[in-house]
Amino acid sequence: MNASSPIRSSGFWAEAWRRFRRKPLAMAALAFVSLLMLVAGLAPAIAGTKPVICRYKGRLYAPCLGYFDRRLEPTIFAKDKFRGTYPRNLVEKDPGSWAVWPLVFQDPYRSVRDDEWPGRPANPARDEGRPSRINLFGTDQAGVDVFAKMVHGTTIALLVGFVSMGIAGSIGIVVGALGGYLGGWVDMLTSRVTEIVMCIPTLVLILSIMALLEKPTIWHTMAIIGATGWTGIARLTRGEFLRLRQSEFVTAARATGAGPVRIMLRHILPNALAPILVPITFGIASAILTESSLSFLGFGPPPPSASWGSILNDARSNLSMWWLVVFPGVAIFLTVLAYNLIGEGLQEATDPRLREARK
Amino acid sequence: MHRWSGVEQGRRPAVSVIVALAALLLLPACGRKTGDALEEALENARPESTAAEPTRAEPAPPPAERGTEPFTPPALAALDAEAKWIDRPVRDGLKMLREAQKQETVLATVDEALALENDSAAANAKILSALGRLPEPEQADLEARIDRHVTGDLGSTNPIMISTSAEFDILGLTGFGLFSFDRILEPFATAETVASWQTSADGLLDKVVLRDDILWSDGRPITAHDIAFTYTVIMDPRVPVPAVRSGTDQLRWVHAYDDRTLVFFHKEPLATNVWNINFPVLPKHIYEKTWEQDPTLKDSPEHVTLEQSPVSGGPYEIVERKRGQQIVLRRRASWATVGGTRVREEPFFKEIRFRIIEDPNTSLLALKSGEIDEMILLPEQWTTQTKGEDFSGRNTKVTAPEWVSFHFGWNIETPFFADRRIRRAMSYAFDHDAMLEKLCYGLYEPAVGTFHQSSWMSPKKKLEPSKQDLDKAEALLDEAGWTDHDNDGVRDKEINGRLVPFEFSMLVNQQPLRVAICTLLKENLDQIGVRVNVRPTESTVLQQLTQEKKFQAYLGGWGAGTDPDSSENIWATGAGRNFTGYSNPEVDRLFAEGRRVLDRAKRAEKYARIQEILYEDQPYTWLYWRNSFYGFSKGLRGYVFSPRGPYHYSPGFSSLWMPRE
Repeated sequence: MNASSPIRSSGFWAEAWRRFRRKPLAMAALAFVSLLMLVAGLAPAIAGTKPVICRYKGRLYAPCLGYFDRRLEPTIFAKDKFRGTYPRNLVEKDPGSWAVWPLVFQDPYRSVRDDEWPGRPANPARDEGRPSRINLFGTDQAGVDVFAKMVHGTTIALLVGFVSMGIAGSIGIVVGALGGYLGGWVDMLTSRVTEIVMCIPTLVLILSIMALLEKPTIWHTMAIIGATGWTGIARLTRGEFLRLRQSEFVTAARATGAGPVRIMLRHILPNALAPILVPITFGIASAILTESSLSFLGFGPPPPSASWGSILNDARSNLSMWWLVVFPGVAIFLTVLAYNLIGEGLQEATDPRLREARK
Repeated sequence: MHRWSGVEQGRRPAVSVIVALAALLLLPACGRKTGDALEEALENARPESTAAEPTRAEPAPPPAERGTEPFTPPALAALDAEAKWIDRPVRDGLKMLREAQKQETVLATVDEALALENDSAAANAKILSALGRLPEPEQADLEARIDRHVTGDLGSTNPIMISTSAEFDILGLTGFGLFSFDRILEPFATAETVASWQTSADGLLDKVVLRDDILWSDGRPITAHDIAFTYTVIMDPRVPVPAVRSGTDQLRWVHAYDDRTLVFFHKEPLATNVWNINFPVLPKHIYEKTWEQDPTLKDSPEHVTLEQSPVSGGPYEIVERKRGQQIVLRRRASWATVGGTRVREEPFFKEIRFRIIEDPNTSLLALKSGEIDEMILLPEQWTTQTKGEDFSGRNTKVTAPEWVSFHFGWNIETPFFADRRIRRAMSYAFDHDAMLEKLCYGLYEPAVGTFHQSSWMSPKKKLEPSKQDLDKAEALLDEAGWTDHDNDGVRDKEINGRLVPFEFSMLVNQQPLRVAICTLLKENLDQIGVRVNVRPTESTVLQQLTQEKKFQAYLGGWGAGTDPDSSENIWATGAGRNFTGYSNPEVDRLFAEGRRVLDRAKRAEKYARIQEILYEDQPYTWLYWRNSFYGFSKGLRGYVFSPRGPYHYSPGFSSLWMPRE
């Protein structure tokens, strides 16, 4: 029995993937999300003002890592008084140096200064920063390039989705599994807790916690979205576990002497995972929306941040700067749409009844 | 009813905090028609108001507890014999303005000015010159109505409860006052209400003789007894007066010798006494029966009725009040005409309608559609949203300097900013030009200190506005011992055996412009190895944190008072609004001296010196002066700007008019 169940299980996933692949929209969405991940991972190489790799005074450095974490930026440049400006300083302080620059020389956190890149004027500021060859998506009121902001903002958008739903998924599955499998007073307790958490308005909770925190960061936002967004997942998991614990393979597993933890993890969970993945995917979409609306309201990550929602917030005071609305708006829309399409594709690919209905 | 008084007193500090907050955030500069800056005034009011007494229903406390020491005023004849009275100015603000305008050359005709787009300093000057003039005889439409707006409802219609900017706007028109000041903030007694004003040679007494032809809106005469009575009410600690007690608390006593003769007794001969004798007035015949029973002045049935339809002592009375929507004032006949004869000039507007609109975007729409006739424009609105025909079809806009300044405040009690060199390094590190040009659209002037460059108390030798100089900033930081010891790219210093990195939080309210300024500072300091965490903070929290000194740095602003002495509570050691913890004995001494010097030129030297010392010490990095930007309907004339905007001085709002069709 134990030997045959993994084979059948993998057969189920292979079958689901085969069906998923047939849906062009879902596949396009998956490709889009993969592209976003690529952009997020390579953000400092796509847009930035720090060299991707450079040779300086005989050694190789990768200052662009500073965009991921300040501590990764080599300190020799601060010591040599680069003041954050690489192109000229590299040449002046070591004529033998060379550097590989990002595709677009623009910074997501500040305006590029006059002649910072030899021969290029400073970014336009106020309401004059229309999209141009140099500033592909225009600049905001302070002269910060919108394209660079959006490239670096991709990381936030993706992280918010994955981290918060990672948290929500773990809590939801554990709570739901315990309630559904054990039943009795445990089920009673977890169901009531689930209902109570459902009543908490996420947005209000985030607003108040952000006001209380000494140093609010994007991680707090993710944690709160995750800690309040698991209820739907828990209910679904509980339902699946209730259903599956009566099934024959579980009885068989129990008969062979498997303990409850083993049964839950090894036998029930893999079979229950498909329907649970669907709300998680939708949850990622809604977490991205929540983060954007928070940033729009001014409660996002602390400035200067490159979050898409905060670009929208900049547009609020001057709607004639359409590029501050259109680009981040489209990006949020497409990302949320992509996750929803993936979720839907997943649902149809894994749910036999839906499959039948569509035929 | 008495039970409530304790509760109200408990609430008083909260009220002051909220209004003080308005000051820190700088809502449209709250002017006090009758005197010094509201912003500063409040602070003085706080210490005594926090001394909340236990709830008590017993009879009134003995006089000693009632805010004033018992005082027996000497006979008037004795005073007159000793005082050596010196005459002080009694003026009519409108007449003065009319005289002054006769000397001015008009730069454009009205039609030319109305056709102008305000896109240059020259155009602005033409518009102000042509449209700011007072009417020729018979030119003004005396039946006209002006539609104004306020950004919040009135807390109270009682004149002594005045504290928010909306209350100053409205109660300034319905209230009675003896004193005012002109557009260069020169104080005088108003000829509309005062026959003569004299000060004793030793500066300890002020004698005012009222005119005998002034009436309350219920027909009873306004007398010196009303003013003396109001003084005792304001000084009673049971009365929850939010703002006006600061100033009156510097007085020893106010005594009415007869219906017209009033003497103010001062504790000390201060230059600021002219502002202290200036407070709103209650009708004694109404309140003397009711206030002892209900010192909150708003809970008893009589007071509720009065709150709804107050007795007015000014040129206008409130005729309609829809809470949260609008307040309508109408000119009262008994102001200008007494006993069938015209004794005063009639105000130009028959009716003033105040709409209550909180959101500036909504008020701009209302201005464009002609629903309101005036508003304060934000820099972005001025630059980008008031250019087209939708605005200039009905409206015009003007700008003028205003004494409202913004700054970064450095908490001197933290290890970072205790050293003057570091505060100067901060000022050198900040890119002032980028802030002024990019973020402020080139509309604001750079600030160098607590007094405006054009004011009389500013030093003769102009102080240079700070300019960015990263080399100097780094040199100063190195000198002060903040270098990168541990090679992590961030400057640090060993304090008490621990290596402290130079990383601090910058508190700022959530207004986009101010967040952008802090972000610019972050970028600048980043370049020289100092880390800043910008923390946009909800405004009440920001106010609280700065009050309690729980901050490292913040961005805030102050509106200047009419008198430089009002800045003392920002700079004196341990003063209530000295958020940065600044302390310099010389500054303390200069403020104390400045108050006691009566000659203006000599006083100016004291304050100029203070300005220079503050410039050297840089407890603030001064950023900019926020000028006035106003949109006005094209039908409106007569706006003239003072350092405190177009309304809150004399004549101020009274000079506005509309031409006959």
